[in-house]
Amino acid sequence: MSVPEVTPAEVYYPNEPAAPSVQTAEIPGPKTKKALEELAEVFDARCAYFVADYDKSVGNYIADVDGNVFLDVYAQIASIALGYNNPALIEAAKSDRMISALVQRPALGNFPSAEFADILKDILKVAPKGQTKLWSGLSGADANELAFKAVFMNYQAKKRGYNTSFTTEEETSVMENAIPGSPELAIMSFERAFHGRLFATASVTRSKPIHKLDMPSFHWPKAEFPSYKYPLEDNEAANKAEDERCLKIVEELYKTWHCPIAGLIVEPIQSEGGDNHGSTAFFQGLRDITLKYNSLLIMDEVQTGVAATGEMWAHERFNLSPPADLVTFSKKFQSAGYFYHDPELTPNLPYRQFNTWCGDPTKMIIAGAIAKEVVEKDLAKKISVVGDYLYAALAELSKKYPTEILNLRGKDRACFIAWDSPSPAARNAFLVNMKKNGVNIGGCAETGIRLRPTLTFGKKHADILIQAIDKTLGEN
Amino acid sequence: MTKLWNAQLCTALGRGLRLQSTAAAYFPSEPASPVLKTTIPGPKSSERLAELGKVFDNRAAYFAANYYNSIGNYIADVDGNQYLDVYAQIASIALGYNNPEILKTAKSDQMANALANRPALACFPSSDYQQILEDGILAAAPKGMSKVWTALSGSDANETAFKAAFIYHAAKKRGNNTFSPKELESVMQNLVPGASDAAILSFEKGFHGRLFGSLSTTRSKPIHKLDIPAFNWPKAPFPSLKYPLDQFVTENKKEEERCLAEFEKVIQQWSTQIAAIIIEPIQSEGGDNHASPSFFQSLRDLTLKYDILMIVDEVQTGVGASGKFWAHEHWNLTTPPDMVTFSKKFQAAGFYFALPELQPSLPFRQFNTWCGDPSKALIARTVYQEISKYNLVENAATTGAYLYGKLESLSGEYSSIFNLRGQSTGTFIAWDMSSSAKRDMFLIESRKLGLNIGGCGDVSVRLRPTLVFEEKHADVLVDIAEEALKRLG
Ligand SMILES: Cc1ncc(COP(=O)(O)O)c(C=O)c1O
Ligand SMILES: Cc1ncc(COP(=O)(O)O)c(C=O)c1O
Repeated sequence: MSVPEVTPAEVYYPNEPAAPSVQTAEIPGPKTKKALEELAEVFDARCAYFVADYDKSVGNYIADVDGNVFLDVYAQIASIALGYNNPALIEAAKSDRMISALVQRPALGNFPSAEFADILKDILKVAPKGQTKLWSGLSGADANELAFKAVFMNYQAKKRGYNTSFTTEEETSVMENAIPGSPELAIMSFERAFHGRLFATASVTRSKPIHKLDMPSFHWPKAEFPSYKYPLEDNEAANKAEDERCLKIVEELYKTWHCPIAGLIVEPIQSEGGDNHGSTAFFQGLRDITLKYNSLLIMDEVQTGVAATGEMWAHERFNLSPPADLVTFSKKFQSAGYFYHDPELTPNLPYRQFNTWCGDPTKMIIAGAIAKEVVEKDLAKKISVVGDYLYAALAELSKKYPTEILNLRGKDRACFIAWDSPSPAARNAFLVNMKKNGVNIGGCAETGIRLRPTLTFGKKHADILIQAIDKTLGEN
Repeated sequence: MTKLWNAQLCTALGRGLRLQSTAAAYFPSEPASPVLKTTIPGPKSSERLAELGKVFDNRAAYFAANYYNSIGNYIADVDGNQYLDVYAQIASIALGYNNPEILKTAKSDQMANALANRPALACFPSSDYQQILEDGILAAAPKGMSKVWTALSGSDANETAFKAAFIYHAAKKRGNNTFSPKELESVMQNLVPGASDAAILSFEKGFHGRLFGSLSTTRSKPIHKLDIPAFNWPKAPFPSLKYPLDQFVTENKKEEERCLAEFEKVIQQWSTQIAAIIIEPIQSEGGDNHASPSFFQSLRDLTLKYDILMIVDEVQTGVGASGKFWAHEHWNLTTPPDMVTFSKKFQAAGFYFALPELQPSLPFRQFNTWCGDPSKALIARTVYQEISKYNLVENAATTGAYLYGKLESLSGEYSSIFNLRGQSTGTFIAWDMSSSAKRDMFLIESRKLGLNIGGCGDVSVRLRPTLVFEEKHADVLVDIAEEALKRLG
């Protein structure tokens, strides 16, 4: 008789609840409501679903101040890698290295600590295939904008020669924000893409108007991202034609855009924009076109990275050759930045890619600890197995609710799974009712429902999730 | 060993409240002067930096620091050298290295929790976040400001403030929350009217960060900006004052009037709406350029006249070093600025504001995954509480006055240092040297003598010590500066 395997969650969280526990009739409950009223006096609290009690949150369960305990498949917008109060992370948080990095946060570019190289190496151990260096930032948007800067500097360096000095005209015009010192160059992105909300990242974000309205924006090109028909196995020809149509648009933009397109940024799976998938052929096509037009390829792995799809980095599935030029990360890694390998993506002079902190060692220490756990506990593989189980169960459930669970997607992508509701109103009601049934779950785009659990999400959690979905849809 | 050391600190701290020297209370084993063991950079530093260079751009690094051995105002490197640090991580260390109170915060369960369970703050705020804000960041709010939005760095703080300004003006113009179909459609093409053609005005030699929006307002040096696409936004001149101030009263007044007139002209002539101006109380990276309170009051008046928001960038000047908690408090403005941004010494970043309309009327417009970082807000709270407990703003003011006096004598003796400035702005002091080359040599020579010191602008040397920098440290600083000047000849 085989002994049931001990799951990562059981190893880390002997006290993880066996099931959600909902104490209040309404979510948010009365204590959350009161706390939010107070918070709102000083901080924008209108996006808050509830006020959390992180002391009481364990593993895959998040607690709120009303005593409710939810199974969490949203996990701080896909940014909790191992679960709440993970003992390995608590240990990292209390380590001497961490304490020192907190108490005297270094300006890393100027005064790196002696152990900084070691901290970095712990991250680089899990770098995407082909990537050997990194530059660190503080958030997803920050990581992407730093990557854009590297791309633009590289583009101009290729034109003028890596070690060629700037002209006087460049040096004077740049102080007026004018060409040629501030060149007219673009980054291409895709319809429905999401890459952040600072000025350059908001320019490449194309998810929803509300993410972009009223902000000055760079006039940069937007291509189309494939919209596949599901189930994939029944629509191969149509989806292949869709890939070709989209690739043609990309190439057309390279030929016709009014200024050079220095780089292209794309998510392996468009997440905020609705969990839209692209095929390996599509991404390989992008690699070929970017090479042909001398443009760099940036893979935005902010949401898909760190084993969420069952590979450490989702784009590694695409077997791009040569590898992507830059790969950005944040969220589950806590630390942010970009990986790269071409030495000439390091600008020719110091202080060009620079700022006060140049990253945050406290977050890098956490990233290193997460990387170690993922590797040692083989979490990418384990979450894949759970994902297969969960996907199959959802496929079954979609037969029971054929008008409620549409376009189920994310097969073979671990628990990076999503589906559509029939309408935005139905989707929003579903998210609210799921909380009442003990599950904290998130949406994406207008009608999408996305699963973004931690990497320690197991079959028993999947069972609870499926039951809650069944119950919620059954209550309709 | 650390336990014993902590015990000593605790008793010392108890006494400290009565002692003169806060530094001595916090750091009983702070060195009395720099300790030099090797040439600078030493062999181990060179080795560590070479190792780092394989995976990370290390070319701006001066030495590899040993933060475990750094204490108070002294930073240690891996070769066992200890420098008096008046650069302090580009002006971002408030209370000295290994400050026992910050250590306590770092070791707290609350901190471990914040690090292991970093929340998406706007969606799932932690139960203690409001209290952490109220006891720290908000307790320190500039007069007239009661709200805050948190961010992650100086650039990020400024850009979120820009977003607030753009959204504010667009909402005001629109008059309601309904976006037109044309706006909704054009914004997805990055075109007006959905995308805005409004601008942020900044000042020549201003520095506000290096992301795309903030870099468009940064006007310090070409190297900060080259090859990066930028918004076509306006700039106005910042006064170039002549020193010593008391000898050039009329000239300087004229210069400020010229700049104000130019500013008003730019506003009148700019073809699109100017949503906000952003200005530093003392332009720091751009060369420690000062202007008088009346200049800033006039700017305030003009922004009100033209319905333009005023953002004061206190990323470098804020949190005590200028002898006021916020440097713009030196101006006694009749109407407070609309937004004040912070980062650096507070470790946490963001912007303060007063007008409720600077919070967009719809949620999820000013938004991102993390919306700040509770672990940094915890540090900011301790920084604020310690500053209050030990009157460290006052310390910066008095130590600054003492130091300024000594530097004034020095500049009388050595003609190679001039345009000494910062007479009444705490330790926020700078001077010029005759050329960039000379300035750079001075910085290197000082480091060799055990003083870690930074430059700014083309020819300036700036002092950015911690808030526990005292007269005894000022004496060491001036002695080394003098020796370095002698060596330069
Ligand atoms: C793919 C992707 N890129 C970038 C970002 C922006 O990250 P941040 O919110 O940390 O700026 C997100 C956030 O959701 C994302 O999903
Ligand atoms: C006045 C001012 N604003 C903004 C910044 C940018 O801050 P950060 O480097 O944290 O992005 C700086 C940094 O030196 C600064 O001095």
